Amino acid sequence: MSVTTNVSDKLLTLPESSAVALQIRAEHYFDVIRGILDNFAIKKELDSIYITSTIPSQSIINALQVLEVDMSNIYFVDCISQIMMSMSSKHEHTIYVESPTMLENLMLKVEYLTKRTEERNDIVILDSINSLAIHNNTKILSEFLHLLVNNLRAKKAYTVIFSMEEYRSEDISNMLNIVVDETIIAAGE
Amino acid sequence: MAPKVNLSTSTRERCVTGIEGLDNALDGGIPRGNTILVTGSCGTGKTTLSLEFLVHGALDGETCLFVSVTESSSKLLNNIIPYDFFEESLIKKGKLIFVDMPVVYERLGLDKLEFTLEEVDVLVRAIADIVKEMDVKRLVIDSITSVCYRLRTQEKIRDFILKIGATLSSLGCTSMLVSEISPAEERYSLFGVEEAIADGIIFMGNLERRGDLLRTLQIVKMRGTQHSRTKYVLDLTSAGVLLVPLLKGGSVAGG
Repeated sequence: MSVTTNVSDKLLTLPESSAVALQIRAEHYFDVIRGILDNFAIKKELDSIYITSTIPSQSIINALQVLEVDMSNIYFVDCISQIMMSMSSKHEHTIYVESPTMLENLMLKVEYLTKRTEERNDIVILDSINSLAIHNNTKILSEFLHLLVNNLRAKKAYTVIFSMEEYRSEDISNMLNIVVDETIIAAGE
Repeated sequence: MAPKVNLSTSTRERCVTGIEGLDNALDGGIPRGNTILVTGSCGTGKTTLSLEFLVHGALDGETCLFVSVTESSSKLLNNIIPYDFFEESLIKKGKLIFVDMPVVYERLGLDKLEFTLEEVDVLVRAIADIVKEMDVKRLVIDSITSVCYRLRTQEKIRDFILKIGATLSSLGCTSMLVSEISPAEERYSLFGVEEAIADGIIFMGNLERRGDLLRTLQIVKMRGTQHSRTKYVLDLTSAGVLLVPLLKGGSVAGG
């Protein structure tokens, strides 16, 4: 079974409002994204809100277009492009946050998008806890995760938090353990 | 069976602002008839918040009045049209009314730089007459600071705010008085009088944290309800004003 199918199948077993930590190896990065956005979200008829602090949203959009993923129900909150001064063009499904240190603004943009997509339930993908940890200290990041996940649970949304295997640390594991219901390791079989 | 325990903090009727985060922080809304000071420096979202308060009221069928002291109504209207929930018919139906204060001054013969105590009474009566005649349930004066400049003395400012507050309250009108202060100000109003008399204070500010400038809101005082006193970060969006609690995380010095 491919990584894409495996991730999607595991997510399908989870109840609504679940919060999941997804442990990913860099080589499986785009397979995992496809498993969530193209397989799982479509099967469950969810709108996807993708928070990116790792790579600019435009790079992900380009990859999704190559993979022929339908973009009509996928929205991005991008907090890395402005700080990298790499905003060449603005995508109509992307909202930009000036910096990954503006965690409240990330929550506000997610709140805004959930209001704009009220007809359907949402899945919110946080990519990734490791890149946010570069810009924020553990205390404020824990507080952010706690508020974000609980707000999304109240809205019956799924939360998927990416954790890159190569950058695992005890602090990050502890932070995730407090807020998530399950940890999924993304791998093929 | 054990008797039901009522944990509600107040039985006063609420004026639901329609701004979800604010209503939650106010335990359901502003106690009806309260006069609130919405205070802060420029660019913090005071006018936007007050306008949204009126638009939601108008959508609920209440007659709402915006008294513009500093800006012309036409300019303000350009700012509310981007709201997803705004309906232009609210203005046509007379549910959302805009009045320019300079026009009121002119009609009352108050087109001068300083008012006497008698002229303060004339102004209060004129506003009360509009509220009564149109059965206004929500009122915003933007800004009260500009009116206070013409009153000059603390005595006249106190007289004006006490009278306008009592009159509006007796008419069941919930009002927001927008107050401008400089960013360095350590009080909630320019003349120091308004804050003591108002039933509530909503303080809006800019908080700099490690080079990031965040728009914030804090309810400092609100008579007639238990309310949150925490600081919120806000965003002004086409879906209205959105609020989330300010993250502390041990990183905010003096925030």
